[in-house]
Amino acid sequence: MAADPARTTARPGAAPRRRRVRPGAREERRFAALFLLPAVLLVVVFRIWPLAWGFWLSLTDAEGLAEPNFIGLENYVEMAGDPNFLASMKNTGILLLTLPVWIMLPMILATLIHLGVPGGKLYRSVYFFPAVLSSVIVGSIFNVVLRYDGALNAGLEFFGIPALDWLGNGSTALLSLITVQLWATFGMSLLIFLAGLATVSQEMIEAARLDGAKLWALWAFIILPSLRPIIEFVAVVTTIGVLTNMFGLIYVLTAGGPGTATTLPEFLIWLEQGQMNRPGYAAALSMVLFVLMAGIAWIQIRIMSRNSGI
Amino acid sequence: MQPNDQYYTLLGTALSSGQGPDLFLLNGGAQARARMDALTDVTASADGLVGLAEFESPEGAVMALPITIQGFVVYYNKARYEEAGLDPDAPPQTWEELVSVCEAITAAGEVPCFSLGNKEGFAAEFFLSAIAASTLTDEQHSAFAAGDLAWSSPEISEILSLWVETNDMGWYPRGANSTAKFMDEYEQFMRGDAANTIGLLSDVAHWKQFEDFLGAEGLGVYRHPAPDMVSDHPMMPVAGGIGYGVNAASAKADLALELAQTLAAAGPIQTFVNDAGVVPANTMVDTSGLSSPAAGTILGWLDGSSAQMAHANVTAEELAEWHRQSQLLLNGETTVADAAARMDEVQAAAHGG
Repeated sequence: MAADPARTTARPGAAPRRRRVRPGAREERRFAALFLLPAVLLVVVFRIWPLAWGFWLSLTDAEGLAEPNFIGLENYVEMAGDPNFLASMKNTGILLLTLPVWIMLPMILATLIHLGVPGGKLYRSVYFFPAVLSSVIVGSIFNVVLRYDGALNAGLEFFGIPALDWLGNGSTALLSLITVQLWATFGMSLLIFLAGLATVSQEMIEAARLDGAKLWALWAFIILPSLRPIIEFVAVVTTIGVLTNMFGLIYVLTAGGPGTATTLPEFLIWLEQGQMNRPGYAAALSMVLFVLMAGIAWIQIRIMSRNSGI
Repeated sequence: MQPNDQYYTLLGTALSSGQGPDLFLLNGGAQARARMDALTDVTASADGLVGLAEFESPEGAVMALPITIQGFVVYYNKARYEEAGLDPDAPPQTWEELVSVCEAITAAGEVPCFSLGNKEGFAAEFFLSAIAASTLTDEQHSAFAAGDLAWSSPEISEILSLWVETNDMGWYPRGANSTAKFMDEYEQFMRGDAANTIGLLSDVAHWKQFEDFLGAEGLGVYRHPAPDMVSDHPMMPVAGGIGYGVNAASAKADLALELAQTLAAAGPIQTFVNDAGVVPANTMVDTSGLSSPAAGTILGWLDGSSAQMAHANVTAEELAEWHRQSQLLLNGETTVADAAARMDEVQAAAHGG
């Protein structure tokens, strides 16, 4: 084995011996630990501990005032046969199937604004405006629009189209809710896409235009590949958003009904915790929602990593 | 400030961590029964109060002092009855008469017979109790509360069938499943856009509120008739409305009890009756000063014409499922038999079956 030339140069003829600790290094490490401590404590106290406590609670029969008893996986077994939970999972599946719309719509609109359609600045403001409204306000607005004697049905009846109970009918309630949430939140994704578009090489677009590239070719071969990391980011953020931020709308617009047509896991968790007074079962539902979100986010991040070559 | 629907969650958390208030407010029925263990026996202070059953422990001890009586009656708009060619001073007393009234109002074509808001399933709760008051005996009420009378029994599934039939007969406005009972349904009634509504006795959506819009002479009241009634007249479902209980873990239980007694006493409740329009649980309160004809009629029904409130007796799980099934029934997305079978499953599970 060859001797380390640097060490040989520095210490000619010296025999290998115990590594010396640089004076003050230990103190530096202590300081570093001290600086890290608040952040670590925050994560442990406000993230790890509640998560662990929630998991423990999900393994108990905590209900009302009674002392919780350990029941193992019984809550999870109950969940498998709970029609309300199964309905909420089915609704989640339908919601996730609409994900391409949540991404494509703001991306296409952002591209058009970026390419300089007339009135682009106005559109940008108008599209973003609902994103600053709370879900309760959005819900109240659309309650007036979508109710049976509301504005939408009045408009439809004017054109001879029969009215529908958009929020009270099992076949339209969830799609109505998704549409309202999309309207309320796509402005944020649009802004993210606009920020991403600002990084697309203008020279390349100009060069392609000089070569006679049409709009679709610009979009498909230059803009879309450049936006891939943004698309993936929006996909992750949107997925988490639709799974965890629809409670307000559900509460105001449909209360989870009719039946279970608009019951999503987060609404069911609230129902079991707040109305049924069953924190143990609600904790088990929360753990499933957490795992579901973590799984989807992990898959999406894996795809992002693969595409960016990390 | 905390949302009203989180009250029992917050109370439960406080009680289970030993930090509950010395005195706390409770709704009669299921909510009071779920917290019996945290309450002190206040039977000795309950003289002169009615509506105690909803606050009694299984052993018959009074665990909270009610201050109001709650219940359901049908309020109607006399002007709408007149427009439909009906006698506004002769409200329906039997199921057949109610069907005729609704036929006449529907034929007049101006407004639906009943306003209905079932977005949260509350209209179905009210309907269940309003019909069950007249069709179930006391024993059947108790059996239903104990989980021994199934939802698929002829007595209860008949109520589910009526829920569907009344909808099929066109009694309700379209869009009931997307209309909030509080307050869209009642606003519709107060605007004169519906002839009848099942309303409350105390607090809100009641005679005092409706009279403000329709006038004392324009508002009528009757007990909801039903087919095959157990009595020769309809019954009014009533329950102890709200009451105050003393925390069993309180270090100042004597003081807390004194406050509960004061809150339930005739003097303070008198003000509550006159200003808010509640029906008092304290029989010593002087109600002779109430000018409302509807209130006078309701007070006259408290003795001899009141029955248990079916929905307040069942478990929270059954109520939540009834909310869902009632919406599916209105939409025609399930059948009475399937809904009753699902309700049976929930009932059995809630009673430890």
